[in-house]
Amino acid sequence: MTDDKDVLRDVWFGRIPTCFTLYQDEITEREAEPYYLLLPRVSYLTLVTDKVKKHFEKVMRQEDISEIWFEYEGTPLKWHYPIGLLFDLLASSSALPWNITVHFKSFPEKDLLHCPSKDVIEAHFMSCVKEADALKHKSQVINEMQKKDHKQLWMGLQNDRFDQFWAINRKLMEYPAEENGFRYIPFRIYQTTTERPFIRQLFRPVATDDQLHTLGDLLKEVCPSAVAPEDGEKKNQVRIHGIEPVLETPLQWLREHLSHPDNFLHIRIIPQPAD
Amino acid sequence: MEEDEFFGEETFQHYCAEFIKHSQKIGDGWEWRTSKDCSDGYMCKTQFQIKNRTAVSHRGTSARVQTCLPMEEALEPPLDDFEVTETTTATEVIKYEYHVLYSCSYQVPVLYFRASFLDGSPLALKDIWEGVHECYKTRLLHGPWDTITQQEHPILGQPFFVLHPCKTNEFMTPVLKNSQKFNRNVNYITSWLSMVGPAVGLNLPLSYARAAFQDEGNVDRQDSSIEPKSLEEL
Repeated sequence: MTDDKDVLRDVWFGRIPTCFTLYQDEITEREAEPYYLLLPRVSYLTLVTDKVKKHFEKVMRQEDISEIWFEYEGTPLKWHYPIGLLFDLLASSSALPWNITVHFKSFPEKDLLHCPSKDVIEAHFMSCVKEADALKHKSQVINEMQKKDHKQLWMGLQNDRFDQFWAINRKLMEYPAEENGFRYIPFRIYQTTTERPFIRQLFRPVATDDQLHTLGDLLKEVCPSAVAPEDGEKKNQVRIHGIEPVLETPLQWLREHLSHPDNFLHIRIIPQPAD
Repeated sequence: MEEDEFFGEETFQHYCAEFIKHSQKIGDGWEWRTSKDCSDGYMCKTQFQIKNRTAVSHRGTSARVQTCLPMEEALEPPLDDFEVTETTTATEVIKYEYHVLYSCSYQVPVLYFRASFLDGSPLALKDIWEGVHECYKTRLLHGPWDTITQQEHPILGQPFFVLHPCKTNEFMTPVLKNSQKFNRNVNYITSWLSMVGPAVGLNLPLSYARAAFQDEGNVDRQDSSIEPKSLEEL
């Protein structure tokens, strides 16, 4: 299964070239140069932008700096979503680099969660991992782990250490041989056309006749409007990590290979862009 | 063994409906809201509280704990939310919104809430913490996810504070087992909310507990054999 293991690495090391520009209304003592950075798809904005923050803080006075937040074309960026997901939802059809605007004032309280420290990101990340395990294993695997194992998951993500992370994460990806798969698949479906932020539901990887459920089965069940009728044109693009998986792909495989480090499958559906 | 649907979404909605029926009777302000894109929904209530009130001395932690169990509430007089023993120079009115949603991942209800001043500016987490009663603080500080965190409301997409649901099953199971043992009708939502609500300033009038017993012929409030064991875990 060496091919499949490569998928794990490809997912982990995916990067998005990004250009950070300071918002024009921020008060600066001198001109602020844009800052370029390769962002890891699987990480979180506030975890990987310390250098960006320092770069812009150098040209500002302390009293003009409060909590940093990011915005793309007027939309405040939710730091608690994986970076790759944000890009795929908002900017995938634009040319690279991804242009993000940096703010230090007027934090949008109604749209964004606060992120006062790295502990908050860790708490959020671990909360997702825990929730995913509740769906997969009734929380048995995560609860049996020691605190140091939880810490290793987090440190692996924070320090971009694939092996360190997967040494623990593989336990969360295991399932008993007698069952064909996990209890339920942890997933979230994001559509830009609906009000609610995402869809989440209980869905099993295996049907009652022991057939493996596919991505297409999931979409048909959970958001049928997104799937094209058999004779119709494809209305929507379904993407995970920026790629469009074949709808016949078994969910179990997607689950094991295309999940984010938080153990969720983040699936994004946007209308097919006009050619 | 299919315990998976032990507390499914339909059961959740059923108990919420019963809860709201009683709320309407007593004018407690709870209502149901359906999500626009789906059949799911949530229960919500808005209430106003006065901040900067002087801390009222309670009759010790154990008495406070006992008032959290619906069955035990009859033994203790209800505590008054708005009790102010001294007037302070600056009192502010805070608007609290409480939402009860269903988590399909944990298969339990979850309490979301947010607070703001009347001008719309939101309260920070540290201000929320000030409103948490002492007896809950130690327990809530135990782990990074056994506590109040800010999260995105799954239906509205806006920042709310949440009491993490991963321990709910732990403290609800003894309550429900006991109710089965003594053949009591228990509204899951009423029991659960009466336990987690007070931690964030939400109290339930006594009559909710009585409403759950309405179908029973024999209401025995003096039954103290139900141990508040579940609350030590709270």
